[in-house]
Amino acid sequence: MISRVADHCFWFGRYIERAEATSRMLASTVSLALDAELPAAQVWRPIVVVSGEEERFCQRFGADDDDHAAWGDGEIVQRFMVWDEDNGTSLLRSVIGARWNARSIREVLSLEAWEAVNELHLWIRADLAQAAYTNHRDAFYHQARRGTQLTLGLLRSTMLHDEPLDFIWLGVLLERVSQTARMLDVHHHAFTHLTRRHAGDEIVETALWLSLLRGLSGSEAYLKRAAGRVSSEGVAKFLVSEPAFPRSIAYCVHSAYDRLCGIRPPDRHELPGGVTLEQLRVLDRWVAARSSEPLAGAAVHDLVTHVVDEVHEICGTLGKELLGAG
Amino acid sequence: MTQSQSQSQGPLAGLFDRYPALAGTFDEMFDGTTPRVAFARIAALLDKMRPDEFARAQALAETALLQQGVTFSVYGDSRGTEKIFPFCLLPRMIATDDFRRIERGLQQRLRALGAFLDDIYGEQKILTAGVVPAEMILGAAGYRPMLRGIKPPGGVRIHISGVDLIRDPAGTWRVLEDNLRTPSGVSYVVENRLISKRMFPRLFDAARVHRVDHYPTRLAETLRSVSPVSGDDAYTVVLTPGPYNSAYFEHSFLARTMGLELVQAPDLFVDGDKVYCRTTRGPRRVDMIYRRTDEAFLDPEVFRPDSVLGVPGLMRAYAAGNVALANAPGNGVADDKAVYPFVPDMIEFYLSEEPILEQVATYVCLFDEDRKYVLEHLHEMVVKAVDEAGGYGMLMGPQSTADERDEFRRRIEAEPRRYIAQHRIELSSCPTWIADRGAIEPRRVDLRPYILTSREGPWVLPGGLTRVALTRGSYVVNSSQGGGSKDTWVMKESV
Repeated sequence: MISRVADHCFWFGRYIERAEATSRMLASTVSLALDAELPAAQVWRPIVVVSGEEERFCQRFGADDDDHAAWGDGEIVQRFMVWDEDNGTSLLRSVIGARWNARSIREVLSLEAWEAVNELHLWIRADLAQAAYTNHRDAFYHQARRGTQLTLGLLRSTMLHDEPLDFIWLGVLLERVSQTARMLDVHHHAFTHLTRRHAGDEIVETALWLSLLRGLSGSEAYLKRAAGRVSSEGVAKFLVSEPAFPRSIAYCVHSAYDRLCGIRPPDRHELPGGVTLEQLRVLDRWVAARSSEPLAGAAVHDLVTHVVDEVHEICGTLGKELLGAG
Repeated sequence: MTQSQSQSQGPLAGLFDRYPALAGTFDEMFDGTTPRVAFARIAALLDKMRPDEFARAQALAETALLQQGVTFSVYGDSRGTEKIFPFCLLPRMIATDDFRRIERGLQQRLRALGAFLDDIYGEQKILTAGVVPAEMILGAAGYRPMLRGIKPPGGVRIHISGVDLIRDPAGTWRVLEDNLRTPSGVSYVVENRLISKRMFPRLFDAARVHRVDHYPTRLAETLRSVSPVSGDDAYTVVLTPGPYNSAYFEHSFLARTMGLELVQAPDLFVDGDKVYCRTTRGPRRVDMIYRRTDEAFLDPEVFRPDSVLGVPGLMRAYAAGNVALANAPGNGVADDKAVYPFVPDMIEFYLSEEPILEQVATYVCLFDEDRKYVLEHLHEMVVKAVDEAGGYGMLMGPQSTADERDEFRRRIEAEPRRYIAQHRIELSSCPTWIADRGAIEPRRVDLRPYILTSREGPWVLPGGLTRVALTRGSYVVNSSQGGGSKDTWVMKESV
């Protein structure tokens, strides 16, 4: 397969996954903000932090100190995360990125998958999406998520399961690892530092953890595994190690390794991609080994930071070895 | 006589109610107020539709094209805006006998043009015989002396061609222009057909129309037939200048429908006069390239050195016979507008046949007598630069201002080789849906049929791209200048 095409496949996967993650995260935060009984900044600021766009946000809204009103303004944060064309992680930019990459490999995608992403792009750039955003926010996020999920589903059900799809999925999975890791890190940090004020705090904390899980489509799955018990460590362990949950770090890293094995079989030493494969294998083993260790307090932050750094490193090597980036 | 035929004898009431025939043109569908016999049945069926029903179908068709991304990029738009190629759902129909003649005429023409190119890049017998003036050929911008003596793999040079035809007021088909380099538009032929079938299934079923959706299969066969490597081992790719090219949709469409990989120049490199593609498993040898990049940009070592769309060394690999290119480079000398007047002579010279298709009388400004006539009659002539396409570099005499005529007079006198002139031909018209008037009106059309030439000879797709000048009174059908397209229905023989 042509390296440039593989690169477009990979980025197409990343953008479409990022679009889905952003719309889900925003929808669950809107819901949380309604009854969290938390300072608004503690609800909305993590969204910007997770996206890695804190600095741009500060500059844009002059929010140079933590008490600035913009951090707690849900409308400002949402507009920044949905429509801002300078914010590389905004929903609009993700959809444009997905569609642009898809168009560059139009002949590689199935007609149905292409139409799904093209229609998503037409929708978000038209008045209809603006109207939905203004009049019925939840329906807007729902529609955005449906568009990305339809695309992801059609890729699996209408394309050949060979190299191009492997690269797309590699993009999806590596994007998802980072997304889960950063969500966990930021929220874990914010929630465990809540000042306990009165007896109802446990209920608030439970609501927060469930909101985080909902932001990752994981609340039902978690409750099944935990028999209804919601705890900080339980949620963290679930998001890091649950092997059967498709958004846990362990699942995503392991699946990414599997995908790369399809692209570059471990015994084919003459083919490029060996370094990336080894990096992913090591990370997979490392994450797997964490499942037997306790996970609380600073350990969460350290673990997640390691994962994010490694994934960043792996994407760089992948680009050089297989995607034609020099 | 069937019911529908008897209905169509009188003036129609319905969709074509008040259809105003365009004075002085040949209307493709109507003879006065009566549908032409070959299309009477279809016209009667169409006429049963109300204008608002038609408008709805037309709007649905446009939405479908947009959602499928059947679009072209608008040049010079930094936001990367894409538009659909304007499309009119009313089909343009061609009678069985008419198309049979076109088909034979085009096959003959392509055989002669192929022989001409072989000759020009070989012995140049036609120049020695004085049939075509040597200065005309050897001075053509499209003539590539470096290709002399190189025989293309499989012996074919014009694998894919699109020949523009028009119809004069008497209804006679005439060749207006040959496109023998990288003709585009065939993807719209296939996509337009898909849309008409979806919107008018019953009408289409009743009409008995030749299919066009096998074009990509025939193209793939054509490419295989001339590949330097036999059979399934050949690695064939489609080369595109990239997503910003206005015809990118088509490049991607053809790659997809042939199951081939679509590559851009940076994906390819030449090593030891062999072409390779950069893949995730290392370099892979390329045997055949269907290239949609202009020749001038194909290889910066040979043509334009500033080209970033090219593959350095590609022409060396081609000359060594290590890669086949479709179309072959060097074809521009045969579709030069100043060489066009000599095609009938080529047909006689190489095939000893009478030309089947008429052309348009053309004045070659290089010749003193012709130039004198053109300069005296500028206000009634269409002047074209021989090396421009897309409706650019043209003077439409009858609609021109005195300043424009003076400008062209200066240009012709400065560079006579660059200009030819023709009397303006009244193009035929076809009933066309005009959305902002909510009605059917006559608009001028041309026809671009597509011809594939394999080792076995030329094959004509029974259909083609009908381009329509959507602007009232316009003669320019090019998509870059307000033109649209129609599905073209070539009728099957009646049973």
